[in-house]
Amino acid sequence: MAGNLFIFNFDKTNMVKLLQHIIQKKNYQYLLLKIGAFMILAFVFDLLIGNLLKHFYFKQTSGWEYRTKYSIEDTKADILIFGASRAQQQYNPIYFEERLNQSCYNVGRDGEPIFYHYGVLKAVLKRYTPKMIILDIENGVFRERRDSYDRIAVLLPFYKNHPEMHSIIELRGPFEKYKLCSQIYPYNSLLFKIATGNSEMNKKRNKDINGYVPLSRSMNKPINTVDFSKKYGMDTAKINIYRSFIKDCKDANIELYIVCSPYFFNAVGHDSSMSIAKEIANDNNIDFIDFSKEKEFLNNSRLFDDTVHINIAGSKIFSNKLVDSIILKQKLLYR
Amino acid sequence: MIFTSVVFALFFFILALLYYIFPAKYRWPWLLLSGIFFYMYGNPVYILIIVFIILVTYYTAIQIEKASDPKRILQFYLFAIFSNIAVLVFFKYTNFFTSTAFDIINFTRRNVTHNPQILNNSLVINTIAPLGISYITFQAIGYLIEIKRGNHLAEKNIGHLSTYLLFFPKIIAGPVERAHHFIPQLKQAKIFNYNYISIGLKLILWGLFKKLVIADRLSIYVSAVLGNASYHSGISLLIAVIFYVFQMYADFSGYTDMALGFAKVLGFDLTQNFNRPFFAKSVTEFWRKWHISLSTWFADYFYTPIAIAKRDWGNWSVVYAFFVTFIVLGFWHGANWTFIVFGALQGFILTIEFFTRKARKNIRKKIPNLLNTYSGIAFTLGYFTFSLIFFRADSISDALMIIKRIFTEKGLLYIENSSILIFSLLGIFFLMLVELKKEFYDNLFTLSNNKNWLIRNGYYCFLLLVILIAGVFDGGEFIYFQF
Repeated sequence: MAGNLFIFNFDKTNMVKLLQHIIQKKNYQYLLLKIGAFMILAFVFDLLIGNLLKHFYFKQTSGWEYRTKYSIEDTKADILIFGASRAQQQYNPIYFEERLNQSCYNVGRDGEPIFYHYGVLKAVLKRYTPKMIILDIENGVFRERRDSYDRIAVLLPFYKNHPEMHSIIELRGPFEKYKLCSQIYPYNSLLFKIATGNSEMNKKRNKDINGYVPLSRSMNKPINTVDFSKKYGMDTAKINIYRSFIKDCKDANIELYIVCSPYFFNAVGHDSSMSIAKEIANDNNIDFIDFSKEKEFLNNSRLFDDTVHINIAGSKIFSNKLVDSIILKQKLLYR
Repeated sequence: MIFTSVVFALFFFILALLYYIFPAKYRWPWLLLSGIFFYMYGNPVYILIIVFIILVTYYTAIQIEKASDPKRILQFYLFAIFSNIAVLVFFKYTNFFTSTAFDIINFTRRNVTHNPQILNNSLVINTIAPLGISYITFQAIGYLIEIKRGNHLAEKNIGHLSTYLLFFPKIIAGPVERAHHFIPQLKQAKIFNYNYISIGLKLILWGLFKKLVIADRLSIYVSAVLGNASYHSGISLLIAVIFYVFQMYADFSGYTDMALGFAKVLGFDLTQNFNRPFFAKSVTEFWRKWHISLSTWFADYFYTPIAIAKRDWGNWSVVYAFFVTFIVLGFWHGANWTFIVFGALQGFILTIEFFTRKARKNIRKKIPNLLNTYSGIAFTLGYFTFSLIFFRADSISDALMIIKRIFTEKGLLYIENSSILIFSLLGIFFLMLVELKKEFYDNLFTLSNNKNWLIRNGYYCFLLLVILIAGVFDGGEFIYFQF
């Protein structure tokens, strides 16, 4: 009956529906407006803070991030040493410079997998061609580990200006390039590192010798036996990146040496990754120099900081021994 | 599909958009389809188990309601409860029961069996428990109990019941939602509500902050230290144990905030799971503020019936109910003796608090209010932290080793990366500041609900930017997903 009072035959239910429709439409518009305004605010802050972080990141004068930045954008050394902690903390460039009469920089970085090394290599090769590259390979280098992909994060600040690194950085996940639309995201978790990297105090505290970070402790304990016969999951992406590393060096006519530095344990069996690394090196006619069973190190725990890292005294012996091997190989090659 | 992943963000965006585009009558089927998709994303086969639970629960609930013969009602009821528990026990506890049985057999016959381990391992079932199985079965059991008690009517629409059990924000780690709270909401025509969406999005952001900035940051230190407890000093272990309490809270309450937020965006109210538990002045109060949906579930369907059944025992009925309830609650978390000890520790302290309630009340009258409040909070937090050592450890011997090393092992604090420690401490400080403000000074100046648009949104922008600056994006799953 009530509906008959209206020209359009509206009853109460229709009226409620119409009101709901109007409210909903207004709600939609209101929400979109608010979200839009919030996004603009967030975008502005992201831009400002991101650029501030970028400015200070690239202004660092010491620390890990500084060394990474230097390796990627500044070094023009003739010899580059690649690898994880067993490169960064074991190869002293001074001995390479003195005896091979060429400039040398250690671009190794603690905890970084082969992805990082290849990313740095690509950036370096875009700038110049080093004469020699030494790549340190460790046991389990091709082991399947999710955190290997997480660790590529240290290359994020270079994504925008280094397209050659895109393929490596994007290994982190299919959405990485979208996340990198944010100006802050590349500097995620780096706030305090950037702050200390810009401080004078850190420069004095965190001294390195051309990228080499010496270890000073001396171990004093008997040698153990480690069993490597147990198989583990292999990451084919890591193996392929290793292959690409070798190929790029060969294509650029770089003298490449792949090295396994000393360990302080007696190995039983063979590490699967190491066997693959040796095999690929041999297939490509690349010298693989293995110090893992070197008696001089196995008999002297005092040359080690821990079972997998030699200390500064060990580093001197090892670096010189490696240079000896390189000179010998060069003599054989140019004879 | 983890709430913090980009895949989930896309899933939810498309889901919410279509949800409001569809006419109201198609919205619950859309939610059901989304729930099924969400559940099947990880391991599609397990949906069959959920279908089984739904069918059994749906059918028996209607039969219980229809039947007039008490014997018949009991038969349907027991069948349904047994079916749900059987699923839970099979997937979660079979290995535990088998290995415990073999341990007992081998202990008594150790001279006869030469290699008990092989005997034991040969019966291990290599299955992963279906996601959220504990939560789904508990909700189904709660629903059946309410029908049996005659408090609520059985749901006649199987779609509604399925949507209730498969509502994606709460599938994996709760809250343990009651059917009579959720299903009526499902039947209401949901209209687009700006306030709900606004509150929901803010909750999601706050949950994301808790998870990525606080919980996952703390987990780096906690995992590094408690994962290799035998190598670390007492001070490092103590710090890691304290961090673990905050990690657990930020992780679980962060997940819950996000679940509540997603539900809110879709127009649903889910049960609050936390009410600032770190400000509880006793363990009894703590359990009214921590994992509320589960503790009230246990209170209604476990503790109260037991206490009533044993009421002839006087005060001991309460003690008995405390112990049984909390041991089962502990065991619910996982098939390990560590969880049983965790539950027993709660039962123990609740018993002490129960018997000393009058004495404590008298003491409270004699000491300043502030001292009473802070000593109560410190004791409660300290006790819960201690009990969580068992919760976190892989075995009781590991837990005891951690406790022993905390008191005996001297050495320096483990700091692999100082920024992890700084971010962790700042995260805890900010979390506690927000909670403190809500607990004691709620009417004071507010940022999150400030009337000024710029201040309010500036605060949420700040949260977003801190997530980008300090969030851990490779942190992984929520702790409670495993339960």
